Amino acid sequence: MPNDYAIQTQGLNRIYKIRGGKKDEPKQLTALKDVNIQVSKGELFGLLGPNGAGKTTLIKILTTLLAPSSGRAMVAGFDVTTQANEIRPRINMVSGGESSGYGLLTVRENLWMFSQFYGIPSKEANRRIKELLDVVGLGDRINTKSSELSTGLRQKMNIVRGFMTNPEVLFLDEPTLGLDVGAARDVRGFIQNWVKERTEHTVLLTTHHMAEADELCDRVAIINQGRILACDRPSSLKHLLQREAIFRLRVDSINSTDPFDFGKINGVRHFTHQAQEGYTALEFILEEEDVLTAVVNQLASHSIHLQSLEKREPSLEDVFIQLVGRSMEEVEREGSD
Amino acid sequence: MKEAIEISRPYSAKLFLQTVIARAYPRVVGAQRERSWMFFDVFLPFLSVSAYVFVYRAIGAPETYVGFVVMGGAMIAFWMNILWSMSSQLYWEKEQGNLALYIMAPNSMMAILLGMALGGMVATTLRALAIILIGSLVFNVHFALVSFWALLGTFLLTMVALYGMGMMFSSLFLMLNREAWHLANLAQEPIFLFSGFYFPIKSLGFWVAAGASIIPLSVGMDAMRQLVFPGGSTLGFLDVNIELVILAILSVGFVLGARYLLEKMERLAIREGRLTESRR
Amino acid sequence: MLGRLPTFRIAAWLGWQIESNWTDPFLFAVYSIVKPVAGAAILVVMYGVITGGDFASPLFSYIYLGNAFYIYVGSVMAGISWAVIDDREHYKTLKYIYISPVRVPFYLAGRGVARFLTGTISVLITISAGLLFLNLQLDLGEVDWLMFIGALALGVVMLANLGLLLAGVTLMIAHHFFLIGEAVASALYLFSGAIFPLDVLPDWLRPVGFAMPLTYWLELLRRALIGNVAEAFPTLSNFSSTQLFGILVGLTVIFGLLSILVFRWCDHQARERGLIDMVTNY
Repeated sequence: MPNDYAIQTQGLNRIYKIRGGKKDEPKQLTALKDVNIQVSKGELFGLLGPNGAGKTTLIKILTTLLAPSSGRAMVAGFDVTTQANEIRPRINMVSGGESSGYGLLTVRENLWMFSQFYGIPSKEANRRIKELLDVVGLGDRINTKSSELSTGLRQKMNIVRGFMTNPEVLFLDEPTLGLDVGAARDVRGFIQNWVKERTEHTVLLTTHHMAEADELCDRVAIINQGRILACDRPSSLKHLLQREAIFRLRVDSINSTDPFDFGKINGVRHFTHQAQEGYTALEFILEEEDVLTAVVNQLASHSIHLQSLEKREPSLEDVFIQLVGRSMEEVEREGSD
Repeated sequence: MKEAIEISRPYSAKLFLQTVIARAYPRVVGAQRERSWMFFDVFLPFLSVSAYVFVYRAIGAPETYVGFVVMGGAMIAFWMNILWSMSSQLYWEKEQGNLALYIMAPNSMMAILLGMALGGMVATTLRALAIILIGSLVFNVHFALVSFWALLGTFLLTMVALYGMGMMFSSLFLMLNREAWHLANLAQEPIFLFSGFYFPIKSLGFWVAAGASIIPLSVGMDAMRQLVFPGGSTLGFLDVNIELVILAILSVGFVLGARYLLEKMERLAIREGRLTESRR
Repeated sequence: MLGRLPTFRIAAWLGWQIESNWTDPFLFAVYSIVKPVAGAAILVVMYGVITGGDFASPLFSYIYLGNAFYIYVGSVMAGISWAVIDDREHYKTLKYIYISPVRVPFYLAGRGVARFLTGTISVLITISAGLLFLNLQLDLGEVDWLMFIGALALGVVMLANLGLLLAGVTLMIAHHFFLIGEAVASALYLFSGAIFPLDVLPDWLRPVGFAMPLTYWLELLRRALIGNVAEAFPTLSNFSSTQLFGILVGLTVIFGLLSILVFRWCDHQARERGLIDMVTNY
């Protein structure tokens, strides 16, 4: 494989053997199936998918923590299986909900310790730590024991840990997990600026928040059940649905999932139904705008009052629904059943 | 002009040293921040040691045995440190998510383990010394030191072999999950028995004592007792010089074994996905 | 609030699930045999070296049985206090237990049941080894079973109280001291008359032993099992078995009250200082 890319995979597969379990339950789990991605240097690349899609498994392989069952993966031009020692000085990783470090040490001490594992001189490490803590808004807690930090502040400390080694390739696995809205916004801004200022540095970000991927990423790969379903710029992915029309309807509350056989109306590609307080929200992806008439007629024939109707631009959520056939929420719900 | 920053080369000796110091730091500093160590790590073990002293007094043992128990009781601190803060420590690190970060960093895991070992050793040595001092004063233990340098040398060689063994066990425990805690628990009493913490290993008979000599503490303590107690040499298993040679062989063997097993276990753990799983 | 018995039952079930499924039965059997036998062997070797193997002496039976039943002290106390560390630091469920309508002391006591059961296996194995290989002076036909069962049951309640006291202390300490149960049990070895008669202690230390319920508990067990042999030791020979029972009940009640007070205070402190969900591993 040519090694001009920051990250490259070819036919990557990962199968987990399941230990124990009942007789009639499957003995293995395919976490990744034939994954092919190429991430250029300087890109902020998103991996978008529901829980259990394989995002974390892919990150573990790319960060040399897990061997692929078959296929090949390269990071910074080196093979993850045979050249892990060449990769490790060039990467770092931050996971959401991380509890790494030691509670009895202060924020500065924890970060200093990790900096030493990368060979950064103490003076330089302390300078970077202070600078980055100020950027993420944790500067005044530098001498606080990490066991005394809240979940959100701890995650900020983890984010500093990932960035302070200035890695060529940085893996962020749901980095805003556990952060409040404001903090998450700050972190997203920080990530964007960091990539912009370093044209040879690459970030691979996994998330199951569509808006985050849409806002941050140069390109997004949509993954579900271990397979990459699509990979392109968010605008290009949304453009796939440009010919379709997306409408959001608010009607009086209705109880069942598809009482009026919307799915059988010619031209209805997909619809979702969500009960809310005082109304039901229906969202339709239609082949063309004219199909809306049939939908509205169907409602009228059952004397259902239409409260409001709006047309909206396609989002990555819609792209996901188009590719998978269900919303991400529905997929996650099925996964937990 | 900005001063050039010299980052240590990956897997270099300088990075190895930086890593050792950094990983030892939480052990040394963090442990002292929890001030209750004086009660839990000195006072309580001292009471336990005292119980065995009184057993010997109840059965009419010579006073030399009291000294044996005090020294053995102090040395138990090192074994407990090896078992709980070295061998099974990687299991706790895995649970917390630190293990993945250690593996991902461009340093040797040997450096991480050595840092853990040294940090633990510093703290444990303080505790062991406290127990010996207090025990010697309270029970009026008499010492007849043959040579301070010989004693120091024997102690250091014992520590190298012991912590080498600890590093080897750490890599084995890398593959385990909850079994790690129970296996560490299982290893406590048998090692107390075969290391001769409370009696000379000679009492176990030649062949059992010979087999027990693979445990660094068995042969190390036997040598140290011969060097510090009057009449210690009559209760010693082998000549001190032979025991030092055994310790030297064990040191080399365990350290090399640790390096080999660590690499092997890391590869196996990466293949089977055990570095980050939590099977509690 | 969930009742005491349902809380205890659920916790006992949970404790057993955690303790019983960590390995295969063979390794579990090895663990159950090797650990207690090795522990007893330390004392056997010590005794054998000095006395030249005089295992027929009443002192040997005194030491051996005391040590065997002392296994309960470590396992019950450690089982209860360990649950705090395990749930707080490893499973991170202690905070959820606290906010649920269960009575925490009964939950912790229930968690100790599994260790009590595995401790019982260890005690039986240790005594069997003594009977089979060391000529332990114990005739099962001569055992006063009523006294034995009564003393054992009362002792378990007493140990559970001590375990609860330790659990309270554990709420306020770091993960580093996770062996606090075993450490305290080892320390109490000195004052319980488990492995040597209290007369061996200096005069000024003996009152501590006489104030410990463990002393009377072990003495009652020895009298039930090896009656005549136990009474050969003068320390408690002036007390009848009934009197010993009375003292044990009294001390169990006193320590029970003390445990409740200490646990409540520690519990309050832990909540005040936000320690219920702290993670302190280094």
